Amino acid sequence: MHYDLIVIGMGLSGLMAAKTAIEMGKRVLIIGKGLGTLSIFSNTIDLLGTIPQTMKMKDGLSQWVHDHPEHPYGKVGLEKIEEALSSFNSFFPPPYTFQSKNEANSLVPTGAGTFRLTYLIPSTMMKGINLKGKRIVIIGFEGYKDFYASRLADSLNCRGITLSLPENPSTEITATALARWMEKPFFREFFGTEAKKQMRNEELIGLPAVLGIHDPMGVRKDIEKKTGASIFEIPVLPPSIPGMRIFNRFKARLLQQGANFLSGLPVSNVILRKNRCENIEVFHPPVTNAYSADRFILATGRFISGGLMANRKKILEPLFNLPVSQPGSQEDWFEKSFFDQHPIHYSGISTDPSLRPIDEPGKPLFENVWVAGTILAGHHCLDEKSREGIEIVTGYWAAKNAMK
Amino acid sequence: MKLQTEVVIIGGGATGAGISRDLSLRGIPSLLIEKGDFLSGASGRNHGLFHSGGRYVVSDPEAARECISENRILRKIAPHCIEETDGLFVSLPEDNLDFRNQFVQACQETTIPAHLLSRDEALSLEPGLHPDLLSAVKVPDGAIDPFELVLENAKDAEEHGATFLLHTEITSLLLDGNRIKSVLAKDLLSDEEYSIKTSYLINATGAWADLFLKRLGLRIGVALSKGSMLITNQRLAQRVINRCRPPSNGDIIVPNHTVSILGTTSVRTEDVEHIEVTPHEVSLLIEETSKMLPAIKDARFIRAYAGIRPLFQSEEKGDDRAISRGFALIDHEKRDRIKNLITITGGKLVTYRLMAEKTSDLLCRKMGVNVSCTTHLKPLPGAEKPSGLKNWLAPVGQEEILCDCELVRKKEVEDLLKEGNLKNLQDILHRTRLAKGTCQGGFCVYRLLGVLHDLGMAKGESNKILQGFLEERWKGIRPILWGSALKEEELIEGIYKGIFNL
Repeated sequence: MHYDLIVIGMGLSGLMAAKTAIEMGKRVLIIGKGLGTLSIFSNTIDLLGTIPQTMKMKDGLSQWVHDHPEHPYGKVGLEKIEEALSSFNSFFPPPYTFQSKNEANSLVPTGAGTFRLTYLIPSTMMKGINLKGKRIVIIGFEGYKDFYASRLADSLNCRGITLSLPENPSTEITATALARWMEKPFFREFFGTEAKKQMRNEELIGLPAVLGIHDPMGVRKDIEKKTGASIFEIPVLPPSIPGMRIFNRFKARLLQQGANFLSGLPVSNVILRKNRCENIEVFHPPVTNAYSADRFILATGRFISGGLMANRKKILEPLFNLPVSQPGSQEDWFEKSFFDQHPIHYSGISTDPSLRPIDEPGKPLFENVWVAGTILAGHHCLDEKSREGIEIVTGYWAAKNAMK
Repeated sequence: MKLQTEVVIIGGGATGAGISRDLSLRGIPSLLIEKGDFLSGASGRNHGLFHSGGRYVVSDPEAARECISENRILRKIAPHCIEETDGLFVSLPEDNLDFRNQFVQACQETTIPAHLLSRDEALSLEPGLHPDLLSAVKVPDGAIDPFELVLENAKDAEEHGATFLLHTEITSLLLDGNRIKSVLAKDLLSDEEYSIKTSYLINATGAWADLFLKRLGLRIGVALSKGSMLITNQRLAQRVINRCRPPSNGDIIVPNHTVSILGTTSVRTEDVEHIEVTPHEVSLLIEETSKMLPAIKDARFIRAYAGIRPLFQSEEKGDDRAISRGFALIDHEKRDRIKNLITITGGKLVTYRLMAEKTSDLLCRKMGVNVSCTTHLKPLPGAEKPSGLKNWLAPVGQEEILCDCELVRKKEVEDLLKEGNLKNLQDILHRTRLAKGTCQGGFCVYRLLGVLHDLGMAKGESNKILQGFLEERWKGIRPILWGSALKEEELIEGIYKGIFNL
């Protein structure tokens, strides 16, 4: 089958690109080996964490776009950024929504007892953004080694409780397993009873972000009823259950709308002719299948996802062999302190304003290839706290341009 | 606080801990002072080679003889700290076979068992070796766990009455004529001050020997030679792989538990405290060691680190490798008229016991007592305990694991914490395999801090400690970030700078 668009990469930028194209009535295939970094890092939607809480996001962002023309946001522009975000939000109608408070960044508590500025917050985390004066208890689970209620409680100056689990008490449990258990009525019953026993009239319960994968608001409502307290989720060490929820929602909706998913295998090769990409190949052992399309979007992420690779000397883009804008030598990749902004994170694929990859002089390399997501050059999504924003906005914008 | 002891030992490396044990077994009370934890210097920063002596047999037969003799003793007294892997001295096409022949002959002369293997024999033992190798000589090299070794010495010493002040720094020495009569020291974590009256003082500070002696206006001339090493995330060979040529850069690969350690370089330095591995050294180590084991070119590295060898020299200059790796035992009564001070420095990890014996013998002569050394006969306390992989893996699956890389059990860590006496994160990391695996503590140190909170033992601000750890970890990781290690780094940065906004 021939497609209008093939999206390579199934993280948030690839999913947004597929969504955008399918809503334009196109035939879309999305290929990816995994969920990108959705299930690792994404809890809330970061747009730009450098904007203080006291400033409207729109005002801060408009200045940023003006000051950073080479940043992905600078290329897309304020108006399209807003369009992209509302497109994302259209997949999350109530009850499980992503919202900002007063159209500005808010501080969300994290599993390390710190706070971080973020923009769109899922409904399950909303009650965590204003803890002042509240009687709070943090609840963790024995055997879940990625969350320590006592540690968080020490930072937040409140009480922490660690509940023993009803079965196999001495073994481990993961965030995913806890989230699945939370979806079972017997477990919520158990949780409610045990939590109530140890609570001292607190009004707010902080839990690791494990309130179920499919119906977090249903789960929350039920245990709020059982405990008589309000509940908020807290972002923790990977895996990220909230990120999985985003993926699942996109996948379900896109399938409904007729997108084709090919997951679990990476694209093994691209067939290029002159300045066009003709086909991509996927190796399904023991055969190789080819898929063709008019247009292609590369949304393969950075190093973790394999979109970029580094050997001892150089950073490469392994699939199209696109030029990667990068520091002069390997010695310049990293700064002396871990907490510095490392130049390597600015590296990536340089594009024209429509997100087509360009060569050194600035000429588009292909007439039918666009690039989206964190693989793009010119941002520092870790320090800027802009990861999901860049993914959503550039996924949207790449597809808009590709399908124009 | 006022304290009194017969002997103050300064330095908690293998030598200091060895002397502490030796004296305690002779019934002589001692107090060991160390400004960090045990193994904070070269004892904890080496490649863990259990020398047969082969490496020095041509250039320094005296040091080689000491090595093989101690090698035989340690196999008996510390079998649990040693993995008897054997070692191969590999000759490549560009190597001079005259050196190999000299090597085999020198081994015979120093009684190091050496067997010349053909190319095929060597490849059948170690299939990863470069297929063009000419030959290999097998010697009884092995791998030694310096942490286990030193902590066991300390434990046995303590059981026999020795005492320690860790995280404690000497602030001054008080002299009475040409005797040191007391030592003033300060606990760096609690600020407690000590005044310690002592009859004798042993300077076992290794690379810091001259810095210590400076307080007395003395200098013995210890050359500081930085040696850098790289750790792979897999064990690439079962035996120690040496290059059969005069000692040079990147000529050894030592297996260590689940990893291999590539060494070393030799760079003269003046600064003992701030040592880092340079990109040039990283390239050099990979280029040179991969000539013996080609898989190193594509290997994933988990850390780079460096240690300082204290080399005792008689003032002349030259390549540091030409300086004897033998040790220096100095009676300052003879040299500088300070009656009750001894300095011991230089040497090798594998000769630590001999160094302790000779130092204690000298001390006994000075004290006028006649008690013999027994450390070559009495096994370390853990020598009896069962060892082996099976033992180590048994509980996995039934218990919560804190470190998924090295399978460190939560209970094991909790037990250690409850035993007490651990003062900071480094103390805990020295006594477990936490933070030694592929992610280098990217996950387990966060968890460890959580466990400390659960036990009500968290001291200080956990996120400050975590930040400090990540900075320390960064020093070892920064030089090796490409390939898979870079992916891991992006993950760790994403967690701590991203999710947790530290």
